[in-house]
Amino acid sequence: MNARPNGWQSATSRLILIYGALFAVWGFILVGVIQWETTRYLNGVIDQMLLQRMHYIASTDPARMPATVDAASAIDPHGIMSVGLFDRDHRPVAGNIDRLPTSLVQDGQVHMLEHGLPRPDRDAERVRARGLANKLPNGDILVISKDTSTIDGLGAIIRRALLWGISLTIIPGLLGGFLLRRGPRKRIRALQEATDPIRQGDLSKRLPVSRRGDELDQLAAIVNTMLGEIERLMSEVKGVCDNIAHDLRTPLTRLRARLYRTQQQLEGRPEEALLEASMVDIDAVLTRFRALLRVSELEDRNRAACFDEVDIGQVLRQVHEFYAPVAEDRGQPFELDVQPLAPIRADAHLLFEALANLVGNAIKFTPPGGKVSLRASMDKRGPRVDIIDSGPGIPADERDAVTRRFYRGDNSRTTAGSGLGLSIVSAIVRLHGYALDIGQATTGARLTLYCYPVAPGEKPGTCLTRAVPEVTPLTV
Amino acid sequence: MPRVLVIEDDEATAREIVAELTVHGMLAEWVANGREGFDRASQRDYDLITLDRMLPGMDGIDVVAAMRRAQIDTPVLMISALSDVDDRVRGLRAGGDDYLTKPFAPDEMAARAEVLLRRRQPQSAQRLRAADLELDLVSHLAYRNGQPLTLLPTEYRLLEFLMRNSDQVLTRAMIFETVWGFHFDPGTNVIDVHIGRLRRKIDSAGQLALIHTVRGTGYMLTAAHDTLPVTS
Repeated sequence: MNARPNGWQSATSRLILIYGALFAVWGFILVGVIQWETTRYLNGVIDQMLLQRMHYIASTDPARMPATVDAASAIDPHGIMSVGLFDRDHRPVAGNIDRLPTSLVQDGQVHMLEHGLPRPDRDAERVRARGLANKLPNGDILVISKDTSTIDGLGAIIRRALLWGISLTIIPGLLGGFLLRRGPRKRIRALQEATDPIRQGDLSKRLPVSRRGDELDQLAAIVNTMLGEIERLMSEVKGVCDNIAHDLRTPLTRLRARLYRTQQQLEGRPEEALLEASMVDIDAVLTRFRALLRVSELEDRNRAACFDEVDIGQVLRQVHEFYAPVAEDRGQPFELDVQPLAPIRADAHLLFEALANLVGNAIKFTPPGGKVSLRASMDKRGPRVDIIDSGPGIPADERDAVTRRFYRGDNSRTTAGSGLGLSIVSAIVRLHGYALDIGQATTGARLTLYCYPVAPGEKPGTCLTRAVPEVTPLTV
Repeated sequence: MPRVLVIEDDEATAREIVAELTVHGMLAEWVANGREGFDRASQRDYDLITLDRMLPGMDGIDVVAAMRRAQIDTPVLMISALSDVDDRVRGLRAGGDDYLTKPFAPDEMAARAEVLLRRRQPQSAQRLRAADLELDLVSHLAYRNGQPLTLLPTEYRLLEFLMRNSDQVLTRAMIFETVWGFHFDPGTNVIDVHIGRLRRKIDSAGQLALIHTVRGTGYMLTAAHDTLPVTS
């Protein structure tokens, strides 16, 4: 899961966008209604004017009608209010309308002229117009129309005002929204950064709480309370475990010392073997307690006191040299393949301990005559170490569990060991912020240690989700 | 008889240390306070000091640091319940010569004390000898009965440590810490395997066995069989 939302995933951004869209739609509706109402009103006024003019001219004497029409059109040289008189054959008789508009119904009602009317002052450019036609008692047709471009101009002004208004509202709105979003996003980022060490297992860390006391602070405070409780419980459980291990070590060590002294005194007697067997058992218990306390010690270390620049190739050569005789005694070819590697920041002693544990396991669980390989190479982000063997491997459903304390897989129940080796490895890997991948090679187990800090969102210690480039299989 | 000063505030632990050192032929004196321990170390000449970390009066780290400042070069074995690597490093950096974590096996403590006592004795810088086994510290060559032995670098370091402390029991932890330089429990029989390989090269058939297993403790290189508690 991507823990860092992008700009559009932010709740604040979404709210701003939704509000902006609603505001724009509302603005369009509001201005649309204003435009529609204004146009309707002005059209009503024009219609009244046209009806009055029609009534006035139609009521004149039919003999004086052409002169009246010519006089009416003469006072309007721009053709804003046009008047035309046509005979029954639709030929113009008087006025400034050249041709009878064919689409205009002669019912005495005002209509929108389908093709408009030519304006004499604009080189006969046709303009939108409303008009009415009336059939006079002598068969002539009287037409009166009015240019409505004033109303259209008013509509255009309103539309332009609308666009300007929306632009002047939305642009500052978006800008303001961006600025408003920055504060919460900054706080969310701070919260996310604060959770990184917590997700990596450091329960001592807390989320930042500001003095605002808003919803984010309330939520952070709740999470902090939960973290405190989880830390207390974890500490208690771990403390009980560690205290048992710690407190039992002293009497067991003293018991072992007594057995040792008694064994020295009983040298050569039958009881000596019994004492030796008892000491072996006590040593096994002490080894487990030591390992358990070692895991706790590593988990409690929250600083990199001994971190330095380390040549991991040198550490691998030491590990190989340390385990080569053991592999040889078991008839296992033990291959070392170290490519040129970049230096890393690490604790060389702890790194040796982790790798020695991994190699020791590979040798221990691979049957005599099998093969073990220790390889190191550079991947895109840094050095990686692969420990590959031809043993039974670690089943997929056990890979997450093997790093838990005292977990013994089916393949390891009959093998000597504390069951804490991989817990120690995991603790060391976590301390370095590295990742350990437990997988399957063609021939057996493949454990990969990535010697560089994990990517955001990945958990240090073990990482079972990373796509691992395939390694060259062992030839057994 | 080597004189050892035991600076330890816990009486039971102090008794244990004194008893074990006495068994190993040392004369041990006990003080329970850091300040008193420093005063005693300044006034008398001891061959070895075992020093607890957490002490009343004066912390163990401060005691050893003050001793080194006062040019007192007596070997110091620090014994502490603080097992963290950082604590070990702090103890050794302050002037301690070795560091043992509580709870400890008394024989391990005595073995470390004896190694520190041995380190104080002037040693030949040229050759080490044990019976007919010789180690040339200049040419880094080993000879058995005059015949050169082919040793790997680790085997040479291991043999040098055994020979420098011949007739002395060495635990697996001491061998691992000194030869490989690491302070953790390898948890397997790796040290035994390395010793086994060295033994096959040193003690070939028909020759007097020099490397011996001391049951329950570790190993010893010696030509005197009668000094061994138990051998195999």
